[in-house]
Amino acid sequence: MTVRAATYRTGLVFFPAFDWAITPDHPEREERLLYTRDQIREEGLFDIPGVVEYRPRPATELDVKRAHICAGPLSAVAGSPHLIAAGGAIVAGEKVWSHEVDRAFALLRPPGHHAMRIVHGARGFCTINNEAVLIEYLRKKAGGKLKVAVVDTDAHHADGTQDIYYNDPDVLHISIHQDGRTLFPGSGHLTELGGPGAFAYTLNLPLPPGSGDSELLFAIQELVLPVLQDFQPDIVINGAGQDNHYSDPLTNMNVTAQGYARLTELLSPDIVVLEGGYSIEGALPYVNVGIILALAGLDYTGVQEPDRMHVERRSSSESSVSSTVRKNVEELRLIWEKKDELDLGRIFGGGDFFHRKRRIYYDTDNIVEFQEESIRLCSECSGYRKVFSVAQSLYIGGKQTRLAAVIIPWHACATCRNEAEQEYDRLSKSQFDYICLQDVEEDRYLCK
Amino acid sequence: MGLAMSSYLIGIDVGGTNTNAVLLEDSRVLETAVVPTRHDDLLASTVGALNAIVSHLPRDRFSEAELHLSTTLATNAIVEGKGDPAAVIVSLGPGLKIEDMEFPFPVFPIPGYIDHRGREVAPVDFDSLRSVLKEIKSLGVTRIAVAGKFSPRNPSQELAIEEFVQTEYPEFVPITLGHRLTGRLNLPRRITTAYLNAKVTGVQLAFASAVKQLIQELGLHSRVFVLKADGGTMDLHESLVRPVETILSGPAASTMGAIALASLTEGNSVVVDIGGTTTDISVLVDGRPVYEKDGAGIAGFKTIVPALYSRSFGLGGDSRVWMDGTEIRIGPHRAGPPAALGGTNVTPTDAAVFLGGAAIGDKDLSIKAITKLSEEWGFTPLELANEIVEAFCEQAAESIEAVYNYLTQLPAYTVEEILRQEDLRPKKIIGMGGPARFFIPLIARRLGVDYEITPYCECANAVGAAAACPTASVTLRADTALGKVVVPELDYVSDISHPLLFDVNRAREIAIDKVVDLAGRRQILARKEDVEIVEEEIYNVVRDFHTVGRIISLKAQISPRTRKIQS
Repeated sequence: MTVRAATYRTGLVFFPAFDWAITPDHPEREERLLYTRDQIREEGLFDIPGVVEYRPRPATELDVKRAHICAGPLSAVAGSPHLIAAGGAIVAGEKVWSHEVDRAFALLRPPGHHAMRIVHGARGFCTINNEAVLIEYLRKKAGGKLKVAVVDTDAHHADGTQDIYYNDPDVLHISIHQDGRTLFPGSGHLTELGGPGAFAYTLNLPLPPGSGDSELLFAIQELVLPVLQDFQPDIVINGAGQDNHYSDPLTNMNVTAQGYARLTELLSPDIVVLEGGYSIEGALPYVNVGIILALAGLDYTGVQEPDRMHVERRSSSESSVSSTVRKNVEELRLIWEKKDELDLGRIFGGGDFFHRKRRIYYDTDNIVEFQEESIRLCSECSGYRKVFSVAQSLYIGGKQTRLAAVIIPWHACATCRNEAEQEYDRLSKSQFDYICLQDVEEDRYLCK
Repeated sequence: MGLAMSSYLIGIDVGGTNTNAVLLEDSRVLETAVVPTRHDDLLASTVGALNAIVSHLPRDRFSEAELHLSTTLATNAIVEGKGDPAAVIVSLGPGLKIEDMEFPFPVFPIPGYIDHRGREVAPVDFDSLRSVLKEIKSLGVTRIAVAGKFSPRNPSQELAIEEFVQTEYPEFVPITLGHRLTGRLNLPRRITTAYLNAKVTGVQLAFASAVKQLIQELGLHSRVFVLKADGGTMDLHESLVRPVETILSGPAASTMGAIALASLTEGNSVVVDIGGTTTDISVLVDGRPVYEKDGAGIAGFKTIVPALYSRSFGLGGDSRVWMDGTEIRIGPHRAGPPAALGGTNVTPTDAAVFLGGAAIGDKDLSIKAITKLSEEWGFTPLELANEIVEAFCEQAAESIEAVYNYLTQLPAYTVEEILRQEDLRPKKIIGMGGPARFFIPLIARRLGVDYEITPYCECANAVGAAAACPTASVTLRADTALGKVVVPELDYVSDISHPLLFDVNRAREIAIDKVVDLAGRRQILARKEDVEIVEEEIYNVVRDFHTVGRIISLKAQISPRTRKIQS
């Protein structure tokens, strides 16, 4: 028996982590990918010529440090499962990078897109940002010359990935999600467009509750694809969270397996990374089969959830997309097109630094963090950053952690670099629990 | 534990070139015999070997001897495209399209769909079935198989189709059903396996009745067993129901022979069988053979038949010796027989003879041939002989490395497995085959491991067949949320009367009972202690943040094993 061969050689890093859970009754739990494994096996997808399964390996501490600054030792916040998931994303990237396969899917858990640059614990079921670790790994391999587009289609705003690439003009971050006013983490508004060194390289499209295939595909076709066409990334990564499925218990969206497969076909990503998705019986098995077939370039039109088999399939139509969504898409398109003409001074102020304050809540670990960040407004590079972070555990008797960090970005200019080093020296003399320097280009990670 | 009632065992292995036979008395080899294989008449080869061996049996113990056969019958039929015209009826519902599965044989999809929990989502459409059967009949098909998606979770649709066919088209009986062949998931492989099973049923039937007749004529009252791809045996009658499991028994015989004859099989070892054309490699981890992850592959077909893991490399005593640029390479083509036996080409065997490491044929012929070739290639004769041996050992070592790289890179799905990084590396080579005595020690030294050459290595395959034992296996799946227990291989579906009390111990009990029962029905002596649980998974079923049940999946079996044979 031969199965029709895949048009695109597709690598699958399938890691269901069957022996790990956040807690015994948490949705992010051992059997989350169990039925998905059964469906993929029964469909015989691993036997398709051109579909290759790979084994993950644990990411190293260095791999993680390129993306994150941890308050304390890595082992305090992240364990083997997190490292293996991040390492699995790296393996997927490696195989594409070396042309062993054309595309790869890191179908694994635990997810990562809610993990921000500074990590005090787990939030939104995430501890290490798998996509960021993957991107930094590839960027190192490319000697810093790499343009990446991340398109996160999970129902939740990818606030972690957005944070890490907030001021990075080489990484375009687009997140399409259920409106933050109706769902965790509450952010991802149209107005979040990135920092002074990368304005408009962060794009957020909130969708109203009830949005489904029509809205998602409209967003891909009318916003994402034209922007990607303009940005010309070397690598496109899709954060393919599947909690936007109509059967997901935690959200209110209406995407179907067919819709997701079509999205994958249109977007044509190089690497897909699983994020959320908790309808483990009714959605994940079918959506993932659809994504794998679409990635491989095979016919996915036969994929359908059992509970929709007797329902007449309504093709997603453009006409049903609401005017709000259309308007928002248009606005974002305009901002992108006009980004180089905008007067950043009006948005970020005229001083030497741009300051912002944020409150970040870690739901999984019940920690609240206050961040004050300063970004140097630089015409030569994206500008170095200084962050003060105070995290308070909200449990009774919970501890407080005070952290200061200086971040030297890729391609930092000499001035920013020098100033950053001086700032770090100056801060080293003050009272913090952790004083950190992150210099990805030179691979220097200091934490006192 | 499935021990033969008799202390006499006859093992026959029909190989590509030769048919070997052995006569065992308990754990000793009494006699061996070899006849050339008649490719067009495997039965005649079997008869020839059996006659040669049977003459050594004490007359009064004749009737007790048990006969174990390893033949290439099913393998050849599949490879050569012979057998009865067969077709598969498939109910697969949505998902990967059947056209994309590109089966090179007739498949007929009909409506019907069962989901991953075993719940019926769409019933079988009997009108569709009726018209499909009509079409199948009109095409001249004589054997049918049925396979449905997730049928191992719920065999009811395949059973309903079987009943329908039995009523309306009794001439198609017996029908091969997917869920009876295996409890494992992979529908395309199950479809293929079911097809091949249906196709070779007729061939196996003919062979079996010929064997039965032969035994009668010889005056034996032997029970006859057939060797399977996983190194276990099954009764000849069983093989009429599942003939597809007898494919690839040759490599299985070889590995089981190594295990039976080697003195120390504990720990990790690699079995290296150097033949005339190929070197076959199989792996023992902790003394137990490694199995093919997904099932045996044959003639481009991917099946779900359980099989010992074995890889064949084009490297043998009669392989071609040639220059690739400045490097000497061996094989993969055959250039034998060796010059020592009158062949026209230099082969690795000749290098061994030249160096005094093997006494085969006429040494002078080897020397002459090597000297002539060495002049052509610019070596001294001694240099050339050594280079050939060196190249052979290097390629053998590379092949062994390749096998272990494959095994260590296999996917793993738990944190524990990824971290554990199991050490599969062999401590020892168990070598077999004609050229083994010379090459194995050198390969072992190169890899830095111990070695052992099995005795009687020329007919180790036949010993493997003789020493193999009957097996029985079932898979059990209990879903306490749905309140069902299913053992698909036995058509067994039962309600769970007390779901809250149903735990993994209860599941194991049922599975073990079923295996003992199954063995008994096949007239194999077995006790509960003989049954192993080789796979086990337990998961919670959660609804709205409450655990509403458990899914317990396990595989229980009387495992393939061999008697130990004294050298």
